[in-house]
Amino acid sequence: MRSLTATMRSAFAEAWSNRSGFWLQVSIMIVNDLVWVVFWVLFFREAGSVRGWDTQQVLMLQAILTTGGGIVLGFFNNARRLGQLAADGALDATLVLPVPTLPHLLVRRVETTNLGDLIFGVALFVIGCDPTWSRIAIYLAGSLISVITLTGFLVAIGSLSFFFGRNEAGELGFHAMVMFAMYPVDVFTGPGRAVLYSVIPAAFIASVPAKLAESFDLGMALGMIGAAVVFATVGYTMFTLGLRRYTSGSAWTRA
Amino acid sequence: MQRTLAERGGFIVSTGFYLAVVAVVGSLWRAAADGKGGTIAGYGAASLFWYIAATEAATVSLNMRLIDDIGTDISGGAIASEMLRPVSLVAVRMASEFGRALPRLTTCTLAGAVMSWIIVGAPPGLVSAAMTVVALALAIGCNIAAQHAFAAIAFWIRDARSAWFLYQKLVFVLGGMLLPIEVLPGPLRLVARLLPFVSMAYIPGRFAAGHVEPLLLLQQVGWLVALLAIALRIFATGERRLQVVGG
Repeated sequence: MRSLTATMRSAFAEAWSNRSGFWLQVSIMIVNDLVWVVFWVLFFREAGSVRGWDTQQVLMLQAILTTGGGIVLGFFNNARRLGQLAADGALDATLVLPVPTLPHLLVRRVETTNLGDLIFGVALFVIGCDPTWSRIAIYLAGSLISVITLTGFLVAIGSLSFFFGRNEAGELGFHAMVMFAMYPVDVFTGPGRAVLYSVIPAAFIASVPAKLAESFDLGMALGMIGAAVVFATVGYTMFTLGLRRYTSGSAWTRA
Repeated sequence: MQRTLAERGGFIVSTGFYLAVVAVVGSLWRAAADGKGGTIAGYGAASLFWYIAATEAATVSLNMRLIDDIGTDISGGAIASEMLRPVSLVAVRMASEFGRALPRLTTCTLAGAVMSWIIVGAPPGLVSAAMTVVALALAIGCNIAAQHAFAAIAFWIRDARSAWFLYQKLVFVLGGMLLPIEVLPGPLRLVARLLPFVSMAYIPGRFAAGHVEPLLLLQQVGWLVALLAIALRIFATGERRLQVVGG
């Protein structure tokens, strides 16, 4: 645990070393997220509500999504890069260290831009999501579940590179996940909706916690926790199995 | 153009991604229109789906990181070797980008049209559909010229990433990519109409939604000429500066 903390600290220090660049990138991402909020406000101003979703609920969705996504892509950025690193055979530097491989890899790299998402998510919740005690609890729990599910999913699809030697599935899965998680799940119908509750668990990343904040449902909450456990297990298992097939590319320092 | 066709994997992925985006955003607007009695800001549910199919085709067909890529070439000095050619650097780059975008635009337009037809029915009008095709080509031209003009900031500040982010968001909202500009509040709508970004997404979308307004094509041509002139001018100034620096 101590080695992971030290690794995370050094990764953050690396990102923080260029402070003007740090704040510029954070600001850019905040503006980026703000544009999406503007879009949703304009959209619901015209539409009123869509399949039970209104501005307030979508702001909660955005707050949880940017908070959870900001933590995963900001602090555990290698979760997204894992597939490319495996395909390139660039894990050697991590494998020789006396630390657990997957946790070390996950905390090894901080991506400054996505820390802007995290700051934005917290600010949006405080300013725009009516933070009562129960909503704060759901926001925090929802963000945590979102972090676990998203990390598990990214590790699982990234680990496919160990088996196939290419990372197209990882990139596609990432983009699909981010795109579908941004919209209320009730917009989708039929088989597409079922996919978002199973293969690409985008519904659990933000829509379900946002729905729970409006009206709590124990069954839905347990389903969300179950999804996090399943994807964390699948991610860890696929990485462990995949690592046995890893082939070095003699790229020492890229992890 | 041949380069794009040769990269089949990326070509198929970008078309698949385009269809997914249209399905999601189009369904969102369709659901909104259905909830409001069938019409939003003068657009019917089917028209809104066709609108999104066109605006997304106009933007997804281009390399969305073009500004960032050009900025990297400028700040990294890679552009210096291209300056040795006896032709305009920016003109060659713009022509190359246009050629790369055309196969993607054609595929996205066809795929988007088939999907829209299946989901919401035939295009709202034949004349407007024909005008959409012309408007899409002009939109690509305007977008490429504007991206080169924005990216030229890298000649001065050595980094175009912030310009890329800003530009992308301007096209998203003020360009009407995600929403018709009739949805914007009054003053913002006026600002959007006066800026070139409407030529890059809103105008093809407006035609695809069934509106026959030939003056919009003239507006696109006007912006295309202006943006090309601006891009050529800024690059010429920037290139002189790069030579002074010693690149």
